[in-house]
Amino acid sequence: MQVFLQTLVGGIGFGAVYALVAMGFSIVYRTMGLVNFAHGSVVMIGAYTASTFSMAGRLPFPLAIAVAIVVTGLVGLIIERVLRPLEGRDFDLMLIGTIGFGTVLEALAILIWGATGHAVPSPVAAAPVDILGIRIRTYSLVVIVVAAAATVLLALFLQRTKRGVAMQAAAMDPQAATAVGIHVGRSNAIAFAIGAGLAALAGGLIGPMLYVSPTMGGSLGIKGFAAAIIGGFGNIPGAILGGLAFGILDSFAAGTFQGYSELVVFVVFAVAIMIRPTGIFGERTVNRA
Amino acid sequence: MKRLLPLGLGLGIAAWLLPYGLDGYAMHVVDVAVVFALLGIGLGLVMGVAGQVNLAQVAFFGIGAYTCAILTTRAGLGFWVAAALALLAAVLIGLIVSIPALRVQSHYLGIVTLGLALAFLNWVTNAGVAGKSEGISDLPVPPMFGIDLSSDYLFYYVEIIVFAIALAFALFVVRAPLGRRLRAMRDDSLAAAALGAEIPLLRITAFVLSGLYGGVAGVLYAGLIRYVAPETFSIANMFLLLAMVIIGGRQSIVGCVLGAVVLSLIREVLVDFSVYAQLGYGTVVVLMVVFAPTGLAGLPALWLRRFRASQGRAELHSFVPYGEARAPEPGRVALEIREVSKRFKGLLALDRVSMTVTDGEIRGVVGPNGSGKTTLFNIVSGFYACEVGRVLLSGEDVTGFRPYRLSQAGVARTFQNLRLFGDLTVRENILVALDRTRTAWIWRYLVRPLAVVRQSRDLGRQADELLERFGLAEFAAAQPRALPYGIQRRVEIARAMAMGPRLLLLDEPAAGLNGEEVRRLAEIVRALRDSGVTVVIIEHNMGLVMSLCDRVTVLSSGRVIADGPPREVAAVPEVIEAYLGESTYLSLPGDVSQEAGR
Repeated sequence: MQVFLQTLVGGIGFGAVYALVAMGFSIVYRTMGLVNFAHGSVVMIGAYTASTFSMAGRLPFPLAIAVAIVVTGLVGLIIERVLRPLEGRDFDLMLIGTIGFGTVLEALAILIWGATGHAVPSPVAAAPVDILGIRIRTYSLVVIVVAAAATVLLALFLQRTKRGVAMQAAAMDPQAATAVGIHVGRSNAIAFAIGAGLAALAGGLIGPMLYVSPTMGGSLGIKGFAAAIIGGFGNIPGAILGGLAFGILDSFAAGTFQGYSELVVFVVFAVAIMIRPTGIFGERTVNRA
Repeated sequence: MKRLLPLGLGLGIAAWLLPYGLDGYAMHVVDVAVVFALLGIGLGLVMGVAGQVNLAQVAFFGIGAYTCAILTTRAGLGFWVAAALALLAAVLIGLIVSIPALRVQSHYLGIVTLGLALAFLNWVTNAGVAGKSEGISDLPVPPMFGIDLSSDYLFYYVEIIVFAIALAFALFVVRAPLGRRLRAMRDDSLAAAALGAEIPLLRITAFVLSGLYGGVAGVLYAGLIRYVAPETFSIANMFLLLAMVIIGGRQSIVGCVLGAVVLSLIREVLVDFSVYAQLGYGTVVVLMVVFAPTGLAGLPALWLRRFRASQGRAELHSFVPYGEARAPEPGRVALEIREVSKRFKGLLALDRVSMTVTDGEIRGVVGPNGSGKTTLFNIVSGFYACEVGRVLLSGEDVTGFRPYRLSQAGVARTFQNLRLFGDLTVRENILVALDRTRTAWIWRYLVRPLAVVRQSRDLGRQADELLERFGLAEFAAAQPRALPYGIQRRVEIARAMAMGPRLLLLDEPAAGLNGEEVRRLAEIVRALRDSGVTVVIIEHNMGLVMSLCDRVTVLSSGRVIADGPPREVAAVPEVIEAYLGESTYLSLPGDVSQEAGR
């Protein structure tokens, strides 16, 4: 039982980060219908920037993450601007274009930071908290709280601000949104920047939990993406639930199947997607003939 | 095709003589490039031709290589026996990976296949039998009648023969009816299904083909390097392979080969600057996707089109009616819809709709927008399943049939917002519909290629006849989306008629046509009816409906509110109300202020 709870809590800590990655995927997808395969690489850039500024730059950790968010936000704007001509035209091409961007970002990271990664010390030094016999790393708690706060802020922005509502409108019907005076291009750019910012937050947070390396984006991105799909693509609550589900699945698989955890996780994911392609909260869209 | 033969022959001879000009290292590089070219063909077939986002190609490659390695070193099998089993394994894995494709498409499929590729990688790095992260070394040299295949030079000749066969087969498949169907499915799977293509089977075929090519590449790789390790089959190499196919041109097999060869060579040249190489090909992929989505292979066509655009315009000719007519049997029922209902979440789109269309009739279905007309068509043509009610075709119960089965049973349809295959020519659009063979027929591609060629030629002749009949001969080579709207509409009707249907469903065929075009449309529809086809037509153009249809069914809010000859239906009060709103409003013609206020 204790092992079970310990694994569960560990899974939620990772799940919170996956949820942030998944949210980044989802916000870009719902506003511009683009699946950003480069998202994992943006997470990696965020992790590197945050860790570099906090370790070498001696900035306080939150400030380093803020810098990372700005940097990746710019990266997001660039990606959006370059791929804009393809918007709404060819879905598969856009997808491949983002894969190309991912490759470029990875190469850039190797050029800047080298091919080998580095470990990041935990920014909170306190000893693990003991609750009901389960030892919880303080840092995991910090991650969960920050992720929850980011989610609430994002939800408030999308539902309570004029800009957020306009973005939702642009997502639902770009032409109608243009007709009522919403600058769809700008709205998409903002969505992309927010998505990239979330990626940096996720990357900055996961840095101390993993080893930061140029290839870390690959599996993080794929898992975050899978989480978004499990939750129902483009759906924010779904992304959170999917992220947590994936984190928990991941940590139990690691406990039970050791080295084969990734195999198990992705086979389970493939089966889940076949059973319910729309995910937990996804709406079945009727194919109009 | 004939012009290409000397070119192919020349290239073949050049490939045969190539080793004489290369040193040992360069020969090795070329050998590896050929393996990648095979992989590129496989990815081109599944992704470029069939439109299935497959990011597991590198895993198929790995399955081929690893099976070969495990069977030779661990089980002690001979190389070629192991190779045959490895091909089988790769095809089997292709079959398994195709299962998700039956349920999900596009980015979903991309992430599922990528996940499965990671799962494979995870397995080989952990399983003892696969040698964990060190991999398996010391594979036996493939025996070949005393020829020493440990020499890269001699192995090249084995490779190039296999490659030539593989390339020829891929080119053959792409040009044959199967390839056309795959391309049709890529462009619009719904319309392809309506034309009789068995979409699930086609998707499986595409993945099996890519598995086969991956397996062949894997076996050759195992024989060439005689060492397998996980890093060869990494996601980074998957993306490199993707870059090869995109840069070369995913829709063209030759393009895929070109991209694979060029990128492998460049990678070798820049082997000491691999990061810059990665940066470079990533950038090129992005640029290609934005500026030249058809890749290097598509550039000539892109330039050619620009050149052709300045030439004279083709002309639409008039329709030539069918000669022989099948006399309708009076009173025989062609289509019967019994108490059909359809619900979308809270909305009842069709509410116990019944309708009987007799043989040789032209039936109009009219009603305000959102009254359920297209939903009715979607049920009759198999796109929606209806929960309640039955659909009978000439007395046979066809309720719940899939679109392809209905198409084979003789139901053809057109679509409200035109669903022509955008990347196929007009002639190919027609050819897809003309091909009435089942997909199971494709075993002939392997065993009796000549039969395929003969069938292909027959279809071509029929297509030319049909294009002539519909006055479209001069547009045969044009891409539909480059044509004026009215001509696209006619192409769609021609395509539907190419199936030789008994029942033709036309969904708003006059939408967007001018007066003259509407008049010609009416002529065509009458001629089709006279040739023995029963026509059901959804239309908003009341003039057309009144003059053309024998009977009219009026739908409103999912219910049939009138059914009868046009004149009678037009006088029914409910119909007038449904079309013109509140009848009380109609009775106040003097109230101009209300009109002006709108």
